[in-house]
Amino acid sequence: MSGMNWQDRRWDPFRDLQREVGRLFETLDPFQPWRLVRQFPAINLYDAGDRYLLSAQLPGMTAEDLDLSITGETLTMKGERKRTEGVPDENYRRQERQFGRWTRTVSLPDRVDGTQVTAAFAHGILTVTLPKAESARPRHISVTSMG
Amino acid sequence: MTPENRPIHVAVDQPQAEEASVSPAAPVHDEPPRSSIFMTPLIDIHEGPEGLILEADLPGASEGDVRIQLEDNVLSLHAHVTAPAPEGARTLHEEYHLGDFQRSFILSDEVERDRITAEFKNGVLRLTLPRAERAKTRRIEIKS
Repeated sequence: MSGMNWQDRRWDPFRDLQREVGRLFETLDPFQPWRLVRQFPAINLYDAGDRYLLSAQLPGMTAEDLDLSITGETLTMKGERKRTEGVPDENYRRQERQFGRWTRTVSLPDRVDGTQVTAAFAHGILTVTLPKAESARPRHISVTSMG
Repeated sequence: MTPENRPIHVAVDQPQAEEASVSPAAPVHDEPPRSSIFMTPLIDIHEGPEGLILEADLPGASEGDVRIQLEDNVLSLHAHVTAPAPEGARTLHEEYHLGDFQRSFILSDEVERDRITAEFKNGVLRLTLPRAERAKTRRIEIKS
């Protein structure tokens, strides 16, 4: 399933001209060529000092549709994005969004405290907070001035 | 094609479109955008009994962040996206860019503009573009 799967198969000589509206001026998406073949969901990973934060773009899903598990440094996310119900394929004019079952496995750069991992889901973004294991956290070493 | 199946159209900005002559019918910004880079949301368009349904993925935007504007025949979407990580967090891996979503569409006359409705849920915008009455099939009685 790729983003190129538009179902504009029907030839309709009377259709409006499909025009580009200011796209060249308003949109500059450096990820565009690659975005079309990317994995689903797209994820970002951040280092916030004492924890890692992982965010995943999962529009249209709910927390109940997601399954997360962590083993050591490996986070596994699974889910299913369901297609809009009751729309026959032939009714689609354009189809860019991806649907179906997906799994993504992420290897974290360092050890995390698996028991403290939490996840939140809001506005189509899953955010997983992964506190680093004690030994992996940056340590502050205080300098004592002598004399 | 039977009249009731006659499609109404929404023209979608297409990368391969060759009409550079289109005026930058610039989606109007009330305030200067935070970033000059906009992300193009992925969309589906399908036909229903009442007209067209346009669904756009806008993950990371909440309802108050979505702006839909109709100016002449250009429908513009803009959605502000909230960053998932606190400021100062270091990016280790990035598969999606944090930018606001923006995309424009040209509506044909067969869309009843006054009755366009929008719903937003879980990062998905669903726009209903009803077919104009005159574009609907009307049965004409034949008098005997």
